[in-house]
Amino acid sequence: MQLYSPMSTTPKRKSVRAPVLSSIDGLRIGVLENGKLNAEEMLNEFASLFVQRHGCTVRTLAHKSNASAPAPSATLVKVAQEVDFLITGLGD
Amino acid sequence: MAVVTQREFVAEEAALGARELMEYCYERGWTDGLPVVPPTIDRVKAMVAADRRPAETVIAQHPATGLDLSLHAAAVNAVMAGCLPDYFPVLVAAFEAMNRPEFNFHGSTASTGGSAPLLVVSGPLTDEIGMNADVNLFGPGNRANATIGRATRLILRNVFQMLPGISDKSTQGNPGKYSFCIAERSRGNPWPLLCEAQGYPKGTSSVTAYAGGGFCNVENHGGNTPEQVLASVADAMANYGCITLGQSVVILAPEHMKIIGDAGWTRERAQDFLFSQAKRSVEGMTDVGKYRDREYDTQHGDGAHALAEQGFIHRGLTPQDILITMGGGDAGGHSCFIPSWSRGRGSIMQHAAIKRS
Repeated sequence: MQLYSPMSTTPKRKSVRAPVLSSIDGLRIGVLENGKLNAEEMLNEFASLFVQRHGCTVRTLAHKSNASAPAPSATLVKVAQEVDFLITGLGD
Repeated sequence: MAVVTQREFVAEEAALGARELMEYCYERGWTDGLPVVPPTIDRVKAMVAADRRPAETVIAQHPATGLDLSLHAAAVNAVMAGCLPDYFPVLVAAFEAMNRPEFNFHGSTASTGGSAPLLVVSGPLTDEIGMNADVNLFGPGNRANATIGRATRLILRNVFQMLPGISDKSTQGNPGKYSFCIAERSRGNPWPLLCEAQGYPKGTSSVTAYAGGGFCNVENHGGNTPEQVLASVADAMANYGCITLGQSVVILAPEHMKIIGDAGWTRERAQDFLFSQAKRSVEGMTDVGKYRDREYDTQHGDGAHALAEQGFIHRGLTPQDILITMGGGDAGGHSCFIPSWSRGRGSIMQHAAIKRS
């Protein structure tokens, strides 16, 4: 007896991790805020630790209008040009 | 067990008995926890044949992973859920509705909110395929209701890989995540059926998909006016645990609908009443820690509905955010309110025509 697989036949998208930063001292930080209650406050507080401890600068605060949808490509492309690393999180 | 991959879609070949096949599906992680019907080639072909399009036709795509749902994959899961081929067009239409970006089925499935897609099937097809719109509406016992809803869950799990604890992070989930599918009751319904109200041609059935966050029974055996009955519903909609800017589904019991219909109330009037009454004061919302300036501004800013009262948070943004229809058995003053998964700017209530071949 033969059974069909119930799974999708689409290959999963290939995703590649960004290279690990050799140092974070003095780097530019982006913050991607997702609109959840307290997200902006939590992420800014988190970013401030990098500023205090590693001399980083916060360059960009980007927003998502829908916490549960992927960030728009245009947002990610823009942020990637302005910062060295990005902080995001849920914030509930 | 001899396992041989033979062709693109064929998973395995093995000479197994029914019990072993069932266990095999468990081992592969293909079930919702209950036994499934083995998706044999003959069964799947019969299911796919219920749609005239090629089996490889893509009817939905996961917005985050890009995984496609083909008619073939939908058919495999429909077989596993126990669907008959006659049910397949409903399942296909449901995913065509859920595939709209506004529905955001990734978010509603992945979220801690724990919602499940509620399917409300409307129109003549419901009788033709033997769906239940009557007594024990949300309960067990009807094959079409149970298996169409179950197939929806199996597709989310198997095709889109929305796996509990991994990509489905529901804090508590809800029982509708096994199956959550009903038919709209036409018998004795004084209002246009949903498929008619949605603008589909006469004779065309529809399915409305809604990210439902649970089930709230609304009991009222003493109210004899539309205002009394609907005030009970509005109170359920505005309870502190449920109230958000989200949408609503209200299924009125025939007893309640008779009171409302006999008084000459239209669906639109009932929607206006519920929207205006399902509200909490800013002070009350603040007291329980749920008040947010951003949400208040969304409801009361530019384009605010005329019924949105200053100083209050209403459930939803407009009366049209409240779907109301009738379902259930003749006896009993038991309606229900289905809260929504919380929403962003999209609509987690989408409908599509059911296309029959």
